Amino acid sequence: MGLEKLLGDGILATRVSALVNWARQNALWPMPFGTACCAIEMMATLSSRFDLSRFGAEVIRFSPRQADLMIVSGRISIKMMPVLLKIWEQMPEPKWCISMGACASSGGVFDTYTLIQGVDQFIPVDVYIPGCPPRPENLIDGIRKIQEIVSKERLWDAKHGN
Amino acid sequence: MNANHPVVARFRERFAADVLSVEEFRGQTVISVKAPRAVEMLKSLRDDAECPFDMLTDLTAADYLRLDAPERFAVVYQLLSMLRNERLRVKAYVSEARPEIGSVSSLWGNANWLEREVWDLYGIRFLGHPDPRRILMPDDYEGHPLRKDYPLKGRGERSHFPKYTAEEAP
Amino acid sequence: MTTTAAGKGTLGTRTMRMNIGPQHPATHGTLHLEVEVDGEIVTNCRPHIGYLHTGFEKLAEYRSYNQFIPLSDRLNYLSSLNNNIGFALAVEELLGIEITPRCRVLRVLLAELGRIGDHVISVGLQAMDLGAFSIMLWTFVEREKLYDIFETVSGGRLTTSWTRIGGLSRDITDDFVPLVRKFVEYFPGVLDEIEKMLNRNRIFTKRTIGVGRMSKEEAVSHGVTGPLLRASGVAYDVRRARPYLGYDKYDFEIPTHPDGDVWARYRVRMAEMRQSIRIIEQALENIPAGPVTALDTKFALPDKFSVYNDMEALIHHFKLIMHGHGFQPVPGEIYSCTESPNGELGWFIVSDGTRNPYRLRCRPPSFINYTAFPKMVEGAMISDMVAVMASMNVIAGELDR
Ligand code: SF4
Repeated sequence: MGLEKLLGDGILATRVSALVNWARQNALWPMPFGTACCAIEMMATLSSRFDLSRFGAEVIRFSPRQADLMIVSGRISIKMMPVLLKIWEQMPEPKWCISMGACASSGGVFDTYTLIQGVDQFIPVDVYIPGCPPRPENLIDGIRKIQEIVSKERLWDAKHGN
Repeated sequence: MNANHPVVARFRERFAADVLSVEEFRGQTVISVKAPRAVEMLKSLRDDAECPFDMLTDLTAADYLRLDAPERFAVVYQLLSMLRNERLRVKAYVSEARPEIGSVSSLWGNANWLEREVWDLYGIRFLGHPDPRRILMPDDYEGHPLRKDYPLKGRGERSHFPKYTAEEAP
Repeated sequence: MTTTAAGKGTLGTRTMRMNIGPQHPATHGTLHLEVEVDGEIVTNCRPHIGYLHTGFEKLAEYRSYNQFIPLSDRLNYLSSLNNNIGFALAVEELLGIEITPRCRVLRVLLAELGRIGDHVISVGLQAMDLGAFSIMLWTFVEREKLYDIFETVSGGRLTTSWTRIGGLSRDITDDFVPLVRKFVEYFPGVLDEIEKMLNRNRIFTKRTIGVGRMSKEEAVSHGVTGPLLRASGVAYDVRRARPYLGYDKYDFEIPTHPDGDVWARYRVRMAEMRQSIRIIEQALENIPAGPVTALDTKFALPDKFSVYNDMEALIHHFKLIMHGHGFQPVPGEIYSCTESPNGELGWFIVSDGTRNPYRLRCRPPSFINYTAFPKMVEGAMISDMVAVMASMNVIAGELDR
């Protein structure tokens, strides 16, 4: 890496939150809540051409207890919403949420009896990604935005529990 | 298949009292029937000696609330004969007052789920169905959304969920 | 997880009831299975579906025919082009209009590319679920190449909305044919490579051969169509049985396999991709010149260039698009079907003579194929269930609509 050469056997002085945020921001573990078309673009983002691991967020966890970033990608129906709530509750703090695509953010083109018109009515969303479906570049951009948010977290905020 | 195919003729002869009409549109034949003997009719089509309709391609329903039709609902069976490569559509009319019809789940394997779907979305009951539950909507849902008098945007079900707050989190 | 009190297991043990899904990596999105297991053996399986029910059929009653085309992408998002084409054909059959020869050949081309795109990913996912992750990454590389082609024709990667009633949203560009040529030349090599990795792979063969058998009779009784039916030994293909778009003029075979197991489905999909390549090669040879949109201006949208430059075309455009206008088919009912990658994709349309369909029913191949799933897994191991599910390529959007 070359980092060793730079640092040598020295001592580094920094704030705790800066260090923690640096670590967190570059090792996001996403929990993909992919239901529909957007999930296919999420898969495309993870695979070879776009390769999300360049940004340290490729460790997909299907268990919510091991993840800190939820990517809601796809349509959420009234039958799915309780499941989504439960999974969100199971994720340990601190956690962030991306709402990917028009459907997750606002219901998209489906203004029907069964579709939740935006998951942000029920869970807190940090970054919205527009598009139907958003291109993989947009998702990567969304994840960079999350990294920015993470880098500004303060450890004593209520967000992280006490 | 055209409307004077021998299968249709045989069918008409056998169930003369219950056949409402036989129509042809763009080369497709539709037999409209009354509901009570529908299962028997479909069985006779499935077991037809010459042109057995061994595949139920689709089973669905339509709500004719705003159209001119013998009854409000029709259960629509799309049949396919693999042997002869013929298709036939059977429509069994079901009244609004008694929305029920016999189940064909013993004739074709896929009818079980398709009938559940029709029950779920149209509220047509299938007598003798082994597992009459909803399939697409949640079990505690009220109403049958594909009926013409059901509003497109629902009745507020989609906004009644608890809101997550960090304080309550475990 | 609950254990049932009545111990019926062979060892006098209790059977256990457990939930798999709706959020589980092996269930590809939103499927939910309630299974009763005796040790590792599945004794009873009850799938629960509907987690992605979107209300397409209801929404269609409030949209005009052309407005439904973008929705048809979102039904089956692995093969949206096939859905676009299937729906446009159904409405054209209802209206009784003819499309131009150029449009017909282009639709065949893109339908077959769409089929390859679907099959290649479904083989990749099948391999991934059985542990061969690299195959999935390879197949995604191929899919990206197909996305490039789709992008040149429609502007979208996934949600293409490419057809219009009576034609296409736009003609192909100049770089389309070279791109496709390059793809068909190179793609069979990729198939060989995948086969080299999987065909003699002990894990893959052990987990697929003899797993999830479905007999011919069972398949027909469940209305199963597409690769699944052909893998059970029935050579039924809508492209042959009810030719559309001039498929009867192309020379291709319908691959079948006698076994009806997971392995057979993998083999059939691989063979079908080769046949699709054959069709594409034939179609590339003669793309007729001429317009892509039917000349019947009562139904077909004029192309964008003339809308901007020609008064008459602009008026036609308005006549078709503006609120309260639009073409009105004669009252009647029609069932039209095409061969989508998953099987017979049918559309039952009831028209009442207005610009919106009165009732629009999509016959979803995934839904009807999935009805046979419990039969296939009962008596099998839990891990086999994953293999069977992957081999069916159930797309939740189409399953729940
Ligand atoms: S936003 Fe568009 S692409 Fe994404 S899930 Fe909704 S319909 Fe599909």
